[in-house]
Amino acid sequence: MQEKIDALVGYIQQKCLWQFFSRAWDREENIAGVLDRTRDLLLGATPPVDTDIDRCHLADAKTLSAELRSEFPWVAGMRPDQLGALFQGVKETMMEIAVAKSRNGELYVSYY
Amino acid sequence: MPMVLLECDKDIPEREQHVYIKATGEDTTMFLPASNVPTIPGTLSERGCSFCGAKLVIGGVLKDTIQLIHGPIGCAYDTWHTKRYPSDNDNFQLKYAWSSGMKEQHVIFGGEKQLKKSIQEAFDAMPESKRMFIYTTCATALIGDDPRAVARTVMEERPDVDIFVVECPGFAGVSQSKGHHVLNIAWMNEKVGTKEPEIVSPYTINFIGDYNIQGDTYLLQEYWEKLGIQVISHFTGNATYDELCGMHRAQLNVVNCARSAGYIANELKKRYAIPRLDIDAWGFSYMAAGLRKIGAFFGIEDKVEELIEEEYAKHKPALDWYKERLTGKKMAIWTGGPRLWHWTRAVEEDLGVEVVAMSSKFGHQEDFEKVIARGRVGAVYIDDANEKEFFEVVDMVKPDVIFTGPRVGELVKKLHIPYINGHAYHNGPYMGFAGFVNLARDMYNAVKSPLWGLAGKDVREVA
Repeated sequence: MQEKIDALVGYIQQKCLWQFFSRAWDREENIAGVLDRTRDLLLGATPPVDTDIDRCHLADAKTLSAELRSEFPWVAGMRPDQLGALFQGVKETMMEIAVAKSRNGELYVSYY
Repeated sequence: MPMVLLECDKDIPEREQHVYIKATGEDTTMFLPASNVPTIPGTLSERGCSFCGAKLVIGGVLKDTIQLIHGPIGCAYDTWHTKRYPSDNDNFQLKYAWSSGMKEQHVIFGGEKQLKKSIQEAFDAMPESKRMFIYTTCATALIGDDPRAVARTVMEERPDVDIFVVECPGFAGVSQSKGHHVLNIAWMNEKVGTKEPEIVSPYTINFIGDYNIQGDTYLLQEYWEKLGIQVISHFTGNATYDELCGMHRAQLNVVNCARSAGYIANELKKRYAIPRLDIDAWGFSYMAAGLRKIGAFFGIEDKVEELIEEEYAKHKPALDWYKERLTGKKMAIWTGGPRLWHWTRAVEEDLGVEVVAMSSKFGHQEDFEKVIARGRVGAVYIDDANEKEFFEVVDMVKPDVIFTGPRVGELVKKLHIPYINGHAYHNGPYMGFAGFVNLARDMYNAVKSPLWGLAGKDVREVA
């Protein structure tokens, strides 16, 4: 599972700009918002959309889920519990890289 | 590999914190160059000043606005005409430069009267323009002139004009970046929400961080029109002053240059709950991904797919022709900040070109997080590079072509290495599908030109 997590994290690091927003809270919101919806789409579920910001996360998730299906065909063959565990791992790693262990000294500057 | 102290930097060891070479298995939680910090004394930095970041990059692009620079003439002259951002009203903003022309007497006795006189003269001479930006500069900031008070007086006397004051003298920050910040936040605080745009489409966006360099905005505008998307504000390519006052009414902020304009997108999200969608407008696969996200947001995926198919049919064969001939070439990108991360994967995926060195003049650590995540192992990543570092890195990585600005470009030319203007382009636009073919063509013409080699030869020996 760790190899699969690393593969997805590597891909997301190269492709997705939403993980790099200016403030820590923005990054956390985007990582959870896009990755949860990507997982839902891969599971064939309809992700929740209440606000325009949710709609924006869904737009990113639609593109990402299509790319993941094409770049990592094994994603389609995973059981729901496996996919859930995979995305939990990806989310935790992304939070670690982009927020918790980030060396970006401006992440918590209120006036950035 | 940890941070690197280059040989040329042995007498300024602080530079080690600004130079990084990526190794396998490393990520940005391990190493991240220091950036957006003061230039170390003794290093021949290529940075511009904070005033320049506000005027040359963002404000000066507006097509209907007098850009009055309150300071000595050089501040106006040096931020005029050095970047090619045209407009569809016969390039009003490129044809003229405006300055209050401060002299020693104004420094001694105060420059406010001179400023007021200059404002009146400018509005009288150009009655077609009723909008103005005033910029403070180092001299007028240091003597304590109050351009806001002067602007208020003029606006009382001329109720049909509107003036926005940018208080960001050259010394306000460590680089151009401070000017971006000051202008973004001041515009948000003072102007956004003061005018209501006419809404003519169910799909509305602001396109943020595109300055119509050699027509980028025109090219992208064709896409928006085909998709039926109304751009309420272009921040600030080919834009008007009043158009930017209505940014609060867009449903989505699409951001290209996150460094110069991410601030206003962040504030629009915070204050008006307008989502921010960051895209890369350079490169085929990136442009397609960006359009798909916008299409998904508005539920117009079919129209987007149709557009992408059409554009690929029109331009992909040309791109592939260049890719075949450019694959394996080595490129260095020495620009402001964002183009490092916008371009490093785009040229590799679309053209087979390897980016071996990147340097940023005013990027922040956020920019280095992006570029190190996207960039190649073994590539050199430098913040605020100096001239000697450029020479040493050229020896290390031996690039076939360098995308940089005219200042560093002059150094590069003397080494007989092909140089492309990475700021204002050689023959743009470079954004979008057609634009990326233009970039490929300029790169091909540069690396294949025999002139670079001939320039290094003694003609008597050749003959």
